[in-house]
Amino acid sequence: MNNGVRERREAADMSQADLAVAVDVSRQTINAIERERYDPSLELAFKLAAHFDCRVEELFDPELDGRLADE
Amino acid sequence: MPTNSTEPTPTDRLSTRRRYRRLLGGLVLGGVAANLALRATGYPVAAEAAYLLCAVGLFAVLFGAPVTLFDERDATLERRASQLTLNVFAVVLILGASVARLVPHVTDYTVPPEVRGALYGYVALFGVFALAYGYVRSRR
Repeated sequence: MNNGVRERREAADMSQADLAVAVDVSRQTINAIERERYDPSLELAFKLAAHFDCRVEELFDPELDGRLADE
Repeated sequence: MPTNSTEPTPTDRLSTRRRYRRLLGGLVLGGVAANLALRATGYPVAAEAAYLLCAVGLFAVLFGAPVTLFDERDATLERRASQLTLNVFAVVLILGASVARLVPHVTDYTVPPEVRGALYGYVALFGVFALAYGYVRSRR
């Protein structure tokens, strides 16, 4: 899933390890999210959004290709 | 990020997690190695004692570690690996059971009891899976 985790983390001058500890996951998990190889759970997505003080949909773009719009 | 002198730093927490995960791996490898070595040198009881001691240590680390050792991505990886393993064994069981039933009728070959035992073992595995699935579903 497209996301802005890396941009926001770098803007906050944090390492992956810092962010991992802040949201209680491994550094590898943060790396996998940033590389879009792993989609976080809702709980982790909300934790990340809360950490960066933004909304979940500002941090993650599910690329639904208009599926929701069609419904 | 505010910290005080008593609070572990992010680096401390990550290195602690890494250390405990290595300890888990060490206990598994150590338990198996000690078991094999002691059995090979004629100490079967000590071999099992060492093995079980490492198993107890493993659970102690798993449930007593001061940091989270496995996160949600680890759980996802484990779930997908388990699913893949079950799929492989399902194919082996479906084809293997059919071949094992058919072979005595069309050839002179007798399926070895070990192979039949393994197939029944797979049946038991899927039986346990079905029970576990039902149990988990009933609680969700």
